[in-house]
Amino acid sequence: MDIYDGLTPDAKALVEQHQAVLKRLPRTFLVNTLIQIQRWPSLFEAERDYFRALFDQLSALTPAEFEQMFGPLSAFEAKTGCARLDAKNAATLQQEQLQFLRRQSTNFEWRRLIGAIFEKLEPMVEARLYSSNLPPRLVVLIYSEGIAIERETLWQRLRGVGVRIPLDLGAAQTTEPFLAQLLTGKPPASKAPTLFKWLDQVKGLPPSQRWLIETGDELHTMCEQNDQIATAGPSATGLSYRRLRPYRRRLSEAIYSKVSTGGVGGPVQLSEWLETLEARPHEGLSLYHDRAVVDFIRDILVLGGNGTLIINNSFVEWSSVQALHRARPRLLVARFGVRDKLKPFSSLLLFSQPRPTDKIPLTQDPLGSFVDVELETYYIWLKSSGELPYRGKTLYLLLAEGVNQMLAIPASEAARANLDVSTRVTLPDVMATMAEWLGVPSLPVNGRPISALLS
Amino acid sequence: MPDTTESLGHDWNPRRRDVLRLIAAFLAEHFLPRRALAERLRSYKKPTHRVIIATFGGGARYKDTLAPEGWRNIPHLTQDLIPQGLLYPTAINDGITDHYNSSAALVTGNWQPVDPWGSQPPLSPTLFEYFRKERRLPAEEAWVIATNKSFGLMGASNVRGYGDRYAANVILPKQLLLDAIQHAVSTDKGPGVENREAFAKQMLSSLDEGYEGFGWQVYESGHHISHELKLSLEKALLDYFNDPRVPSSGDTLTFFMAKEIMRRFSPSLMLVNFWDMDIAHFGSYSLYLQGIMRTDRLVWDLWQYVQTSPDYRGRTTMFVIPELGRDADADGNGFCNHRSGDPSCRRVWLLALGEGVPRRAGSERPIRHVDIAPTVAEILGFKAPDLQGKPLVELAV
Repeated sequence: MDIYDGLTPDAKALVEQHQAVLKRLPRTFLVNTLIQIQRWPSLFEAERDYFRALFDQLSALTPAEFEQMFGPLSAFEAKTGCARLDAKNAATLQQEQLQFLRRQSTNFEWRRLIGAIFEKLEPMVEARLYSSNLPPRLVVLIYSEGIAIERETLWQRLRGVGVRIPLDLGAAQTTEPFLAQLLTGKPPASKAPTLFKWLDQVKGLPPSQRWLIETGDELHTMCEQNDQIATAGPSATGLSYRRLRPYRRRLSEAIYSKVSTGGVGGPVQLSEWLETLEARPHEGLSLYHDRAVVDFIRDILVLGGNGTLIINNSFVEWSSVQALHRARPRLLVARFGVRDKLKPFSSLLLFSQPRPTDKIPLTQDPLGSFVDVELETYYIWLKSSGELPYRGKTLYLLLAEGVNQMLAIPASEAARANLDVSTRVTLPDVMATMAEWLGVPSLPVNGRPISALLS
Repeated sequence: MPDTTESLGHDWNPRRRDVLRLIAAFLAEHFLPRRALAERLRSYKKPTHRVIIATFGGGARYKDTLAPEGWRNIPHLTQDLIPQGLLYPTAINDGITDHYNSSAALVTGNWQPVDPWGSQPPLSPTLFEYFRKERRLPAEEAWVIATNKSFGLMGASNVRGYGDRYAANVILPKQLLLDAIQHAVSTDKGPGVENREAFAKQMLSSLDEGYEGFGWQVYESGHHISHELKLSLEKALLDYFNDPRVPSSGDTLTFFMAKEIMRRFSPSLMLVNFWDMDIAHFGSYSLYLQGIMRTDRLVWDLWQYVQTSPDYRGRTTMFVIPELGRDADADGNGFCNHRSGDPSCRRVWLLALGEGVPRRAGSERPIRHVDIAPTVAEILGFKAPDLQGKPLVELAV
């Protein structure tokens, strides 16, 4: 067998360049790394940069550093015998290694050792990747109209790190004017360009640096209507759970067919089958999408688990976490919605397509949705704010359509301390602030930046 | 039919035993009057004590349950049950933090390293096997009633001298439900899922067609549904469908099944696995909390049933424990998963209630999941040698 099979020319060149160090890596570490770069065409540029830096760093380790870093894992592999496993390709070998460790109950020890390696390795790789000034980033998390917001507990988990700022919504009490004022700085009728478009026009940021993820498609529609007027070209990388419905249905049918015909013995086999499933989306794609984005959607919906195929807000949360982690965008706007209640009986067959007479009318769960999105927005902040490109460089804004306050989590503690929360600000003020923060000043909008958030 | 011939005959010739079993089954099904059958079922010395192990089987974090911020999710435990029993606020799952191995540790007293999806039996004998073998008890004295449909082999190990002949009966009610729904939606004919009465009939008929047909493979343990048991299941299903409050919960069906089995057989040893809360894997925190609250209510209902049943009142010890925790927010994907092995995944709690248990008591001493089995063995008075767990000394057993 050749565990190096299946690499694209770019990935193969990278491997050949670092062949000397790769040969010395513990087998489990090597296999897992190769699995990652086998997906080279599906990787975002930030991920490719990461692997280039990782391989450079591995090659730069002195023998003593290498031994200190990988010695314990090599000893573990020798002791358990997992280094002697063989298989027809890297993917199968990875599965067999994992099952072998699980059977021996040594999988937690293995994970601990891998974790210890990355504790030492990551700072070195990050130093290579982010040695100069990091750019400011912005994450905007929006609760859509319909979620049953409990104002007393709104954003409760983030109160310790954020500041509530009162909003003067004016006429922007409902979804359409709210979103337009927030992301264009003008009323809907103006059809003004969105913040995404300004980042393209003024900063020249590629679409992979501008992300829009939502349960519905109101923001997608606004981008299509407003930004196409400005100039051709996509506003952002866009994921709409609603627009992906035909694709989700196709996936569900494929899974249901496989499961109901007895084609899989359990979740592990199902997961292995899904890995091989050629099910890239061609339905419901909108705004910008390339091979990496298409595969990203497939991974989120098919392989991600965590309910992304079933529950709209799980899709938005997991997509956001993964987009921030993998593509490292400068701007991410995530908009949550109201999820449906799980239906009696038929909801137990989650992937089935009941015939029309069995379809119980969908009912929404506004209260449950609020509980869900409160934790989901917290998780997005928690997971991204700890990563180096975001730490101390990211402004988080949380808003709820029709609610006259927002929560701002400034990039620095000093900014938080200096915030004056007594004055109401408008949504165009927020738009101006976001634009200024991202380096697009003096936009023709009717608002003024909130200066304290910009420090 | 329940196989008393097998349970009494551990030294019998297997071939002769099989023949006798067939004959006995034939006679029982077709000739013996019901009453005679019932009397035959009780022709052994029934143990005095009863033990129920009820699990928050999908896994619930300490912070979502016993920590002060979690109290609102377990109102019956905090207000009704904890005052009646002995609470260990720290119970540690030191094994593999998947569902199957965690529950297998509870019923074997040993940490288990088998396939997490249930394709293998536990590696060491279960309480059920020790109990039935030593006390020469029939299968209806030991039951596993599990919402988790991968628990088909939880009733017995395949250790030489033990195994299926001393296994617990295993019932997977949710599997039954799934199977029936599958039938209902898989064709343009048939009742569909909206016609409750017709759907109930569909579910009942699935008992005849074999209830392990749909979806994941369910591994047969060598025990099959007997006529008596089928009657019990039918009764529980009808109760289930006649209760408009609970149309879709696998755990509620598990509760109905457990209650019906208690009413008909009053088994001495039961594992009742509630599992709805594992919907956490779908990322909905509110649905996960609803699952916890439902289990809290069902555990309370189960204890109330114990108090109203002459077969159980005053002679039953019940253990309530989360099978495992779930990941902390700072690691992995938080409550969604239980794969990190972090303290949040491992630290749960145990509540003991009933006979031999001091009331309004607590022990700060950390205990482990594997300590349950040796404690149960002491309560029911049988030997379970070479366990990794140690009996809970705080219980007056």
